[in-house]
Amino acid sequence: MSGSRHNVDHASDGPPPDTTTDGEQALTPETAALSVDGLSKTFGSGEDKVTAVDDVSFTVEPGEVVGLLGPNGAGKTTTIKSILGLVLPDEGDVRIQGVDVADRPRRAYEHVDAMLEGARNDYWRLTVRENLRYFAAIRGNDPDTLDDRHTELLEAFDIAGEADTEVRDLSRGMKQKVSLASVLAGDVSVAFLDEPTLGLDVESSLTLQRELVRLVEERDLTLFVSSHDMDVIEAVCDRVIIMNQGRIVVDDTVSNLLDGFETKGYRITVRGLDESTLAELQDRFELSAVERLDGRVRFEVAADSATFYRLTDALEAADVELGGVETVQPDLAEAFLEVTGNGDSLANGATGGTDQ
Amino acid sequence: MTGGDNGRGRATAGNEPPRSGGYYHLMKAVIHRDLVIWLRYPVNAATGILMALIFFGLIFYGGRLVAGQAIDDTIEGLIVGYFLWTLAQGAYFGITNDVQAEAGWGTLERHFMTPFGFGPVILAKSIAVVLRTFLTSAVVLAAMLVMTGRSLELPLVTVVVVAALAVASAFGLGLAMGGLSVLYKRINNVANLLQFAFIGLISAPVFEIPWTRILPLVQGSALLQVVMRDGDRLWELDPLALAILVGTAGFYLGAGYLAFVLATRRARRLGVLGDY
Repeated sequence: MSGSRHNVDHASDGPPPDTTTDGEQALTPETAALSVDGLSKTFGSGEDKVTAVDDVSFTVEPGEVVGLLGPNGAGKTTTIKSILGLVLPDEGDVRIQGVDVADRPRRAYEHVDAMLEGARNDYWRLTVRENLRYFAAIRGNDPDTLDDRHTELLEAFDIAGEADTEVRDLSRGMKQKVSLASVLAGDVSVAFLDEPTLGLDVESSLTLQRELVRLVEERDLTLFVSSHDMDVIEAVCDRVIIMNQGRIVVDDTVSNLLDGFETKGYRITVRGLDESTLAELQDRFELSAVERLDGRVRFEVAADSATFYRLTDALEAADVELGGVETVQPDLAEAFLEVTGNGDSLANGATGGTDQ
Repeated sequence: MTGGDNGRGRATAGNEPPRSGGYYHLMKAVIHRDLVIWLRYPVNAATGILMALIFFGLIFYGGRLVAGQAIDDTIEGLIVGYFLWTLAQGAYFGITNDVQAEAGWGTLERHFMTPFGFGPVILAKSIAVVLRTFLTSAVVLAAMLVMTGRSLELPLVTVVVVAALAVASAFGLGLAMGGLSVLYKRINNVANLLQFAFIGLISAPVFEIPWTRILPLVQGSALLQVVMRDGDRLWELDPLALAILVGTAGFYLGAGYLAFVLATRRARRLGVLGDY
């Protein structure tokens, strides 16, 4: 498989032009919801020196939802924290809604809040609604004026019934939802969500994904989502940035990324396939997941169109009856593994973990 | 990254979010949160007051057994000193523990990312801690007076002003220690040592060794004795003595705040601001 059509190593492409090829006004650091240029961060020195973020650059349009993927240690959390000024970067310019975060942090923070991975992010001894009111207030809002919005937010996340319950008494999934709701409790236009569905069951995760999509549309919210859950990224994000070893290795739309993988897979079911023919096919083609099912044989094969036709010719020549053919589309997880070349890290990463 | 932005009333590029709140709402929210969380750990809250009273009872009744008349002659001084010690302890540990807890909960970083700026938010939290400490210390003071059967002069405004200025220096130390805890994490042993230093500072011999007035708490302790035992009002106090109190309060509070800012900046450089 090869990802020839996406913008590999966008970071080295230099600043974007002022206009696109079809004449639309291109994003500038002033008009982008988020603009990151040449961001770098190194920890330690000498032999212990670790470059966590290496010349990272990208821009995010207002209302865009961008996913950040990468194996453990790729630099995702450090990138997010450096963007937010929670980690002081060595180099680089970051603008949020056109405001330079380093020069005018308070003004920049009017637009942004973040849910950070591995942290509670809120107060477990306060009730759900008290948390929302508190975080709205420290973000410069009068919480009384946001009561209706908070109620809507709690209803959207299906926790309105727990509004007056102390967070410590809620399940882990609900706590995660409260954390997310508290990030959106104020008037933010850009939100960073680091592993927002960590610890959620499938149903809760799907609810959260649905509500995130709805909130993005309703509030014209710009989201920057880091997750190990590929389903979340595929469902919620317009675009994916994949990092590896501190650098951006892919920056493209989700659909382009998936389309870019030319080689597709097929799941084929046949009748009358004897052992010697199967062995011959295994020699000639990349067969996997071979199963014997009551006189039938099912297997998967990685093949482009030409290879697929050669396979069907071979089956015909061996007088094997074709029972069924399904296309196996590559998903984001496969694309990710292909790009980073690191299957183990995804498997490990699925349980979460920090990057630093 | 600098904090030089005043964050209010300036034109900006990009969207201007509608703002409905200000420092009043910040202060109200921070005080409410501090009190609610304190009350929702009722055993901890009650134990704190109870332990302060038991410790005082041991000193008072134990002292009477051993020293009898000597304790009775100095009991007012002991009460005032103990009152200031509970205030200083409350303010010092209040902010140190608050910063440590916030770092552990992951909420410290969210306080960093506010349009008010980290400094004003931390100062708001500090005021909340001091207010709560005044409440608990007032309860302890009342209980001490009942326990000993003594009375003190309590010109409220003067007592609050002098006590607040006295506590400000202890508070500065708390801020510095809070900053160090963000940077170095487990420093409880060092932090705990300072509470015993407070006893020495509160009972420092200012008349015999005048230079001790520039140490934290010392001048405040001396003036609080004058106010609470003799009933002197603010305007009746020696202006120089008052100036030293204001100067030391400002110096230690400023130095503590600066240490906190530098420590958190270093923590950001090392990427450990939210780690605990």
